[in-house]
Amino acid sequence: MIHMKDVMKVYENGAVALNNVNVDIRKGEFVFLVGPSGAGKSTFIKMLFREVLPTSGILTVNGRDVVRMANRDVPYLRRSLGVIFQDYRLLPDKTVYENIAFAMQVIEAPRRMMQRSVNSVLDIVGLRDKYKCFPNQLSGGEQQRVAIARAIVNNPSIVIADEPTGNLDPDTSWGIMDIFQRINAAGTTIVMATHDKTIVDFMQRRVIAIEDGRIVRDEAQGGYGYEN
Amino acid sequence: MKIRTSEYFIREVFLSLKRNNWMSVASIGTVAVSLFIFGMFLMLVMNMNKMAATLESQVQINVYLEDAVSREEARDMEAELKDMQGVEKVTFVSREEAMEHFKERLGDQKTLLEALDDTNPLPDAFEVTIARPELVKTAAESIEKMEGVESAKYGQDVMEHLFEMTRLIRIFGFSLMLVLALATLFIISNTIRLTVFARRKEIAIMKYVGATDWFIRWPFVLEGMVLGLLGSLVAAVVLRIAYTGMAEKIYDTLAFFPLIPEQPFLTYITIVVVLSGMAVGAVGSAVSIKRFLKV
Repeated sequence: MIHMKDVMKVYENGAVALNNVNVDIRKGEFVFLVGPSGAGKSTFIKMLFREVLPTSGILTVNGRDVVRMANRDVPYLRRSLGVIFQDYRLLPDKTVYENIAFAMQVIEAPRRMMQRSVNSVLDIVGLRDKYKCFPNQLSGGEQQRVAIARAIVNNPSIVIADEPTGNLDPDTSWGIMDIFQRINAAGTTIVMATHDKTIVDFMQRRVIAIEDGRIVRDEAQGGYGYEN
Repeated sequence: MKIRTSEYFIREVFLSLKRNNWMSVASIGTVAVSLFIFGMFLMLVMNMNKMAATLESQVQINVYLEDAVSREEARDMEAELKDMQGVEKVTFVSREEAMEHFKERLGDQKTLLEALDDTNPLPDAFEVTIARPELVKTAAESIEKMEGVESAKYGQDVMEHLFEMTRLIRIFGFSLMLVLALATLFIISNTIRLTVFARRKEIAIMKYVGATDWFIRWPFVLEGMVLGLLGSLVAAVVLRIAYTGMAEKIYDTLAFFPLIPEQPFLTYITIVVVLSGMAVGAVGSAVSIKRFLKV
């Protein structure tokens, strides 16, 4: 699903964000990306949906060569991915339903599919009864659940989450993780960057630790490994 | 324009004034002013062309023959003239006919001619019509060199002045239009940039979920086209009123003036102005979103 070989990223100001990174992530894996702030986790995540291009090395996502990909093919790469951010990034003037349907509209999905797909992802994240609400009427956890629903509504094969629980209290975070587990159980690969020690330690999934742009640990079933 | 249609347009204008800020009004205004000036020059140049064409079609060389030339020789000369390059028509005007015309033109004063005691001082002549005006000068020069020709005259000065003036108006109008087009592009792209900026979160989300660049671009291009359309409609309405008003004034004072009739001319002008407005609007917004769409 995701293949990185000797991937290096040097920003224009000379900062080395990733150095000689080699990773393979297979279908259906659940991967935590851990490490101190500024270690290169965000760069790693952003390269997966080609917001950032590697300076050198090989990167394929879902069988697509991300490095050599033409700009006009990028939208199609992104349609096979679901992206979730720490700050939810919902549209404030659209309802829950509209926010999710928006992700289908902009890729010109057939109209008749829309209602069924949106309702089904609303069921998955447990927000069926709040579909008419606007984001500012929801709690942080509920907003993040809307963002997850939006990320999975187009059936991506990989869900990429950058600190999805970073703004949430522990109880709410567990609710979010529960949704991720269920999505993962349905066969979707999940790559999640996080600082949440409790979650990583409890889940016992694959852990990739990045420090100073290098992978320093890659365990199939690991813990957070840092003191919070 | 139907009342319902104009109502609709007015409603749209007010909606857009409400929704957007003063930049929209500024854009519409700039488009309107630019296209009004563009339209004025277009109408001016087209009328000048029409006038030139009218005068050109009347361009003829009057060829006066020497007295010694006999009618047979004149017939040979007529054939020779007809063979010349650019000559469209040759009419022989005998001295008797010329005298008749002269008498007619004098009208009441033809008694003056009695002083001539039936002698006719007028020469035989040809009226030579030339196909293309730029050939007139050379044709006249070569005709003058023919044997038996006394002189060949045409309205040289008037024609040359008219051509020079049309040329200057074209050059001036074109440069002005270029400057105005750039100004319009600039202000429209600024307006669209504000809209794009206001909707940058939406654009970012569209990109993350895999919308193509064109899907993201379209609404902004359409908005630019609407701004251009509204501005050009204002310009078109003012142009129509201005032309109709001027036409009335000109017909009152200079009835013979060969003005282009209002229809279908004004329809043509309206179409050109509106299409240019929408094109400028579309290009203006395309220019400004290009930078925002960097993947």
